[in-house]
Amino acid sequence: MPEFLQHLLNALILGGTYALLGIGLTLIFGIMRVVNFTHGELYTFGAYMVFFFVMVLGVNFFASILLAMALGVALGALIEFVLLRPLRGADIDTTMLVMIGAWIAMQNLEQFTWTGIAKSIDHPFPLDPLVIGEVSVSWVRVFVFAFAVLLIAVTYLLIHWTRLGKAMRATFQDRETAALMGVNVKGIHTLTFAFGSCLAAAAGALLGPVFVVAPTIGDLAALKAFAIVILGGLGSIPGATLGGFVLGLAEELGAGYVSSGYRDAMGFLLIILVLVFKPTGLFAAKERIG
Amino acid sequence: MSNLKRVALFVAGIALAAAAPIAGSAETIKIGVTQPLTGAVAASGNYVAQGAKIAESFLNASGGLLGKKVQLIIEDNKSNPKEAVATAEKLIVRDKVPALMGAWSSTYTLAVMPKLMEYGVPMVVETSSSGKITTSGNPWIFRISPTSAMEAQSFGTKVGQFNIKKANFLVVNNDWGLGASNQFQKMLKSKGIAVGVVETMDAKATDMSAQLAKIKAAGGDTVFVTTGVEQITLVLKQMKEQRVTQRVITTGGSSSPDQLIAQAGAAAEGSFHLLFFAPWFPGSAPNPEVATAFVNEWNKRGHNFAGLTEGFRGHDGIMTIAAAIKAAGKAEPKAIQKALWGVKVDGVNGDIAFIKQGPKGKESAQNIPNVYVVTIKSGKVALP
Amino acid sequence: MRHAVTAAWVVFLFSIPLWMTDLYILHILISAGIFTIAAISLNLLLGYTGQLSLGHVAFFGIGAYTSALVSLGFDLELTDSYTFVFAPWPVWIAFIAGIAAAGLFGWLIGKIAFKVRGAYFVIVTISFAEVVRLISLNWVDLTEGPMALNNIPPFGVAIPGLWEQTFYQKLPNYYLILVVAIVCYIVVRRLVRSRAGRAMIGLRENEALASSVGVDVTRYLVLATVISAAMAGAAGGLYTHYIRIVDPDIFLFIYTVTMVIMVVTGGKGTTAGPVVGGLLFGILPEVLREFASPEVQWVIYGVFMIAVVFFLPQGIVPAVTSWWKARFAAPEGGLGTPEGAR
Repeated sequence: MPEFLQHLLNALILGGTYALLGIGLTLIFGIMRVVNFTHGELYTFGAYMVFFFVMVLGVNFFASILLAMALGVALGALIEFVLLRPLRGADIDTTMLVMIGAWIAMQNLEQFTWTGIAKSIDHPFPLDPLVIGEVSVSWVRVFVFAFAVLLIAVTYLLIHWTRLGKAMRATFQDRETAALMGVNVKGIHTLTFAFGSCLAAAAGALLGPVFVVAPTIGDLAALKAFAIVILGGLGSIPGATLGGFVLGLAEELGAGYVSSGYRDAMGFLLIILVLVFKPTGLFAAKERIG
Repeated sequence: MSNLKRVALFVAGIALAAAAPIAGSAETIKIGVTQPLTGAVAASGNYVAQGAKIAESFLNASGGLLGKKVQLIIEDNKSNPKEAVATAEKLIVRDKVPALMGAWSSTYTLAVMPKLMEYGVPMVVETSSSGKITTSGNPWIFRISPTSAMEAQSFGTKVGQFNIKKANFLVVNNDWGLGASNQFQKMLKSKGIAVGVVETMDAKATDMSAQLAKIKAAGGDTVFVTTGVEQITLVLKQMKEQRVTQRVITTGGSSSPDQLIAQAGAAAEGSFHLLFFAPWFPGSAPNPEVATAFVNEWNKRGHNFAGLTEGFRGHDGIMTIAAAIKAAGKAEPKAIQKALWGVKVDGVNGDIAFIKQGPKGKESAQNIPNVYVVTIKSGKVALP
Repeated sequence: MRHAVTAAWVVFLFSIPLWMTDLYILHILISAGIFTIAAISLNLLLGYTGQLSLGHVAFFGIGAYTSALVSLGFDLELTDSYTFVFAPWPVWIAFIAGIAAAGLFGWLIGKIAFKVRGAYFVIVTISFAEVVRLISLNWVDLTEGPMALNNIPPFGVAIPGLWEQTFYQKLPNYYLILVVAIVCYIVVRRLVRSRAGRAMIGLRENEALASSVGVDVTRYLVLATVISAAMAGAAGGLYTHYIRIVDPDIFLFIYTVTMVIMVVTGGKGTTAGPVVGGLLFGILPEVLREFASPEVQWVIYGVFMIAVVFFLPQGIVPAVTSWWKARFAAPEGGLGTPEGAR
């Protein structure tokens, strides 16, 4: 029983960052109809920026995470501006090819800059875990979870309670009508991509110190984000949130009770199952965002 | 008609490829090195390459070999067996090196071995520990690193002082990890020590919580860990997080205790490490002047001190090949192979000389190196 | 005229080993040839049916692993008392088995994946490749996992009891791959000009219209996937018996991307496109190797791919063809005209 409780707790903590990754991706897809292959690279970028600030420049740990997120916004906006804006109206496959090209270039630039050797990041949390009865969890993971939940909450508030969110929802529903009603669709696209990128960079910045940072960590992160988004239905934020937690649970229980080697396969097996039985994903019944 | 264009493009490609410099000038003696410079075990591979380069400059500073300069050609096998084969093919066919050193992991070395047979080129194996390498009947293999069996046996003479009742294993799921786990299990069982669970992990895995949960549930007082230093760091941290209090003993000599202290901090405290060079005490090495000179040069170049426990392998490997080339009087594969059997090299680890292993008539060569145990005590490396 | 040029080109390819004695360059050409075959197979899906399949490397890898395992033999400990032993088979039969296995998976994936389109389809195909990779990594009993399958026998020809020739050398492998590539090229060319091919192109251009005039969409998509997968499996088989080692990294996404770059750069939906792209991106890395480290090379490819999509969206072959036509007003469409676009 304690082992099962431990798995549940681990799944919850893991699910938080997964949800963060998934929301960023689903937001970009929902509003822009772009399958963002650079999502994993923004994750990697966030992790390397924290490494750079904390380990090279010696900046405060928490400030470094915020800085990494800010740079994620900037990089996301840049990608949107340079690569996606000229391609607006192009078919989904064309943008996908461009994003794949960008992904390859970014990953190898990271490898070139930081070499292929994995880096680890120091964090200020005590090494001894937080013990709750039979189960335990490290303080750094508690922090990661809390921060992820905070960011998810901020995303919800932004989309439901601000004018910007209203414009985003309008663009999601009907781009042309939104434009006619005076929504600056171009601006919304840039902001959406920058915001989604920020969430990806945040996920990387949070998980970098828990594990290690290497140029290819983004690949698995991106694949998992894809899995989460498919689980939840493309474009659905509640779907992505729940999808993140479902994936965390499936991985943790799969690793614990089936085989640790297949931990990373769980998400893809789930996708294939979902698509066989409910091709639109678990929650995409309503074509709306938020 | 656009076919013409296609032909033109194609010819241009060929011409470009052909125009690229092929083979080298005759003024240098080339030695090929294949190491994992990127990927899962990149840190170790880079340290070995740095050690090899030190040997290269030592050799050239003392006049080179046979009146020629020594030139290392170092290729990245990307922590992958297929790439290891590709690098060996490139080094042998394109660069025409008469001897190789590599390929770090047993899996990469085993992958390269058929190529050595095919082209008839000797390779000095500097790190790999799987027993299979020297027992499969490949006469082009000259291993200076210890086998897992030798390591286990050597540790077996000291195992009494650890007072182990029941041990678990957490190893990387390749020839290195599985080989080490088999040999150490055998040794422990022969001493009447119980073996609990044997868990494996992929070389690229970063979350070992599931394996550690099983090890914790199995009980026991010791866990043997065999993998690269990056993963050992994660294992130590995650053990602390999951409150697994078993004593850690790492095998395979790739633990870089200084790196563990730097990156795992207090989580590394009290762990034990089997090493093949103890750079903290170079004066007490079997060849103190060689070891000291190597450590000094390493520090002078500003390399990471933590890398010395791996870097020395590159030095010893290149020095072994150099000694054979000198003895052979020419840089030809067959002659080097013959000469390697007779070399006596003062290495950083100790005296290097080869004995025969494997099926009769096509034996591989194996050196008998020294094995050390160190521990981490109050943030410093100490002898236990 | 056109046939004469085609013939000259084939003769040139056949003559290369006669005057090219550098084994390393032959090695590069063989590797480029294997990837060209894979690119030809991907083009059938990507270029003619318009489906962006990003799991294509799975079929390549399944072909490679199946062919390797059948030729090496294996045993599986199914229960404590029963071990299933599979004795080694001749390489040629293994090669056929690899093609069949890849084709079978093509059929299976076609059935599942074509329930969805667009982004869903892309992600399903990626997921499929990733699951296969993880299985090859973890089912150590069968695949040796990260330890790789070693010492895979090469192709060979023999007259039993009399004469035997095993393809250890580069030369026979070069000709073998050239012949398979030509066969694949002809198969795709024939197919796209048949009734089925026109149906596929109709799907690409307008799926709703095609299905409204009675084209059985799923049937033709699945057909294209099976043929494409089988061809990729053949490329995998050639790879495995030439390189003679296969490990789970064969399923890495980057190889799919390599194939996609080859097809898109050469010109998707043209028969010659993947050949040009395949040779270009098969040879280019080795040329660049002298000047740039691998990561810089990949940065260049990434940027190149973006540039092609932006400035040469049809690919090299159609661009060259139309330039040629505009200039010399050639009366007939060359091989390079996109099928269905003329």
